[in-house]
Amino acid sequence: MQYFNRLLVNFAYFLNSSDAYQRKRRFFYNLLENDDYKYKKYFDLFMMILIFSSVSILIYEVKRDIHDYLNIFNSYIISFIFFVEYVLRLWIHSSISKVIINQDEYSDLLGRDFSLLYVVNKVFKDKMEYVLSLKAIIDLLAIIPFFHELRLLRIFILFRVFKLFRYAKSFSTFASVLATKRFEFFTLAMFAAIVIFVSSVLIYVMEANNPSSPIDTLYEAFYWSIVTISTVGYGDVVAVSPEGQFVAIIVILSGISVLAFTTSLFVSAFTEKLEDIKEAKVIQDVSKENETYIICGYESIAKEVAKKLINSKFNVLVLDEVIERVEDAKRDGLQALNYDPGQVESYKKLNINLSTQVKAILCLKEDDVENVYTALTVRSIDKNVKIMSLLMNSANRSKLIFSGVDEILHDKELVGLVAREYVGQPVAFEAIHAIRAEDSNIKIEEITITQRIVENISKVGELENVDFRVVLLGIHKRETKRFYFNPIDETLLEVGDVLFVIGNYIFIREFTKHLMVKSSKKAFDGK
Amino acid sequence: MENSSVLIFGNNEYGLEIAKNVEHKYSNITIFGLDENEGDTNDFQFERFDLSDHWDELRQKHDMDNSIIFCALKDEAQNIFLTISLRSAFADTTIIALAKNNEDSNKLHMAGATKVIPIVETTANIITDMLKKPIVTQVLHGILYEDSDLRLIQVEVHNAECFGGEYPADINWSRDHGVLVLSIIHQDGTHEFIYSSKAKHNEITNGDIFVVVGYEQDIQEFKKFIGEEKCKR
Repeated sequence: MQYFNRLLVNFAYFLNSSDAYQRKRRFFYNLLENDDYKYKKYFDLFMMILIFSSVSILIYEVKRDIHDYLNIFNSYIISFIFFVEYVLRLWIHSSISKVIINQDEYSDLLGRDFSLLYVVNKVFKDKMEYVLSLKAIIDLLAIIPFFHELRLLRIFILFRVFKLFRYAKSFSTFASVLATKRFEFFTLAMFAAIVIFVSSVLIYVMEANNPSSPIDTLYEAFYWSIVTISTVGYGDVVAVSPEGQFVAIIVILSGISVLAFTTSLFVSAFTEKLEDIKEAKVIQDVSKENETYIICGYESIAKEVAKKLINSKFNVLVLDEVIERVEDAKRDGLQALNYDPGQVESYKKLNINLSTQVKAILCLKEDDVENVYTALTVRSIDKNVKIMSLLMNSANRSKLIFSGVDEILHDKELVGLVAREYVGQPVAFEAIHAIRAEDSNIKIEEITITQRIVENISKVGELENVDFRVVLLGIHKRETKRFYFNPIDETLLEVGDVLFVIGNYIFIREFTKHLMVKSSKKAFDGK
Repeated sequence: MENSSVLIFGNNEYGLEIAKNVEHKYSNITIFGLDENEGDTNDFQFERFDLSDHWDELRQKHDMDNSIIFCALKDEAQNIFLTISLRSAFADTTIIALAKNNEDSNKLHMAGATKVIPIVETTANIITDMLKKPIVTQVLHGILYEDSDLRLIQVEVHNAECFGGEYPADINWSRDHGVLVLSIIHQDGTHEFIYSSKAKHNEITNGDIFVVVGYEQDIQEFKKFIGEEKCKR
């Protein structure tokens, strides 16, 4: 027995340290359970299609004969896929190897023998926790037609519809919102049950011995009571005696209150949870993005910046601790959260990697103290993320630099520089600003030199930009990180270099296309 | 005629920054303070003013037709009122006004400002440019704000015959002159970018203004070529 235990423990350690095994396990966990995993939505969609196909076939075969292949598809293939999914969920729900390792370490620590019984019990308990969960029961019922060819059991196919709860997030949200009012719904159910029971018995007592009354059995009394309390009142079963009608009045009034109570419960549950749901949705959306700009504070400059970034199709998230400003951002069509950008907790809740998923953090509050605080908070979390900040008072510049801000913008200084340029060269000033205006046809663009381009165009002189009426302002060399104005024809092009071109955006587009076409043509000719 | 003095209305951070940035070009700079509690500025001439229409003193002290006025009061309504009253008193003076947002910008234009600098939009534009095209923005800022060896200037053509009837788009500016001509402002006020489709249809004539980017020495050579010396082609 001890030899078997040792073998089991060794095997558990082997599994726990096996990269291949852990990778597979992680993959299936992500696919089945991790909403942030980018391929999960495709898996969910696939499963939903299977569910709808299955139910469609069920409906179709009620009045028609179906082809064998459809039957095989529905009874075996779909069921088999669901079965595999069930087994995979059972597998990833808890780790047997971890239970064995924990028990081994625990035994070692206390100097006791390894208890296989404990392991079996623990594993069984863990796995049963999954098997007895509502979702797993639905999963199991959805597989049942696979095991039974009996026509009656085919109705279990309908349980596959309930599996949608797994794949459609909104269904889960709906259920979770209603779950918050569990106690109220239970109270309502109790009230309704008492009213139905008392009224059923009462109406039975009042009407059952009346030959002209349609209520003859307790079941009919129960049916009447349900129909009346739900305010449906089909009219097929009605009380005829004055006593019975009096009971009906009481039941109808109770029914109205039950309905009103139910409606108010739904409304209040969703009203209370609406903001949480929206917040969770924003966090979920943001966590999936890889290039988000986080704007801290939503005041005048921040509003303009957000508008321009959104127009350029960038992903923007606004954080502000003032609820009115958050509402303002939402009204402007932005993703916004009522989080304090100066608190570490806010970024933890966002569930994103600042280095890899955030393009820049913009501290745009019109208050230097707040911006310094926010910058320090962000820098304490991440050393690499780019931070840009507004500076309101030039005396505070050093504080912003000290707090780790990469770029500082002082609006007064900018106004001074604009004024300086305008009084010096008004025409040139207008010309250069016309290039930068968003609605101008003339653009200044960056074209990055790719491997594809550089294989066929090696020098600036081969670019032929003049033929496309595109001005080559200069080239930014990646190697030296320097800008070379008006480079000579012999300047070599290297991968990662950036060309700065000015011209009509249509000409620039054609020129860029030309670089690609020329490249591919040469490559083709080369073959 | 060159503008002779700069009058800045607004004894605040914006006014001081403007003064600092134009002092290299103008020695006669006066900052006007509206609030009686404001102290004067140590570095520049300081005067008090009120918003009543008494600009005679100003007219006596300065050549108003050749001055530049900056309206940089903190209170938007006062700034607009100041602009409109200065425009009604001095029809031909260049008035540059600061606006907080686009709404004020429109009002200042209506009040007669020659040029309006919207603070919020200008700052937001620069932030967005820095995010979208960081390298371009850095280079442009270097050129615009004279923070690099490159310069952006405007030069007027006096020797149009040098170009022999050629169209701007046909000239290889960078190879022939070592500078880049970005745009041309014609005498009739129309404005076009070099290599735009319209540039094919307009010959270069005397009085056109070129907006040129280049290094100082090349620009000086180019200036001589189009304006000061006989054609050497």
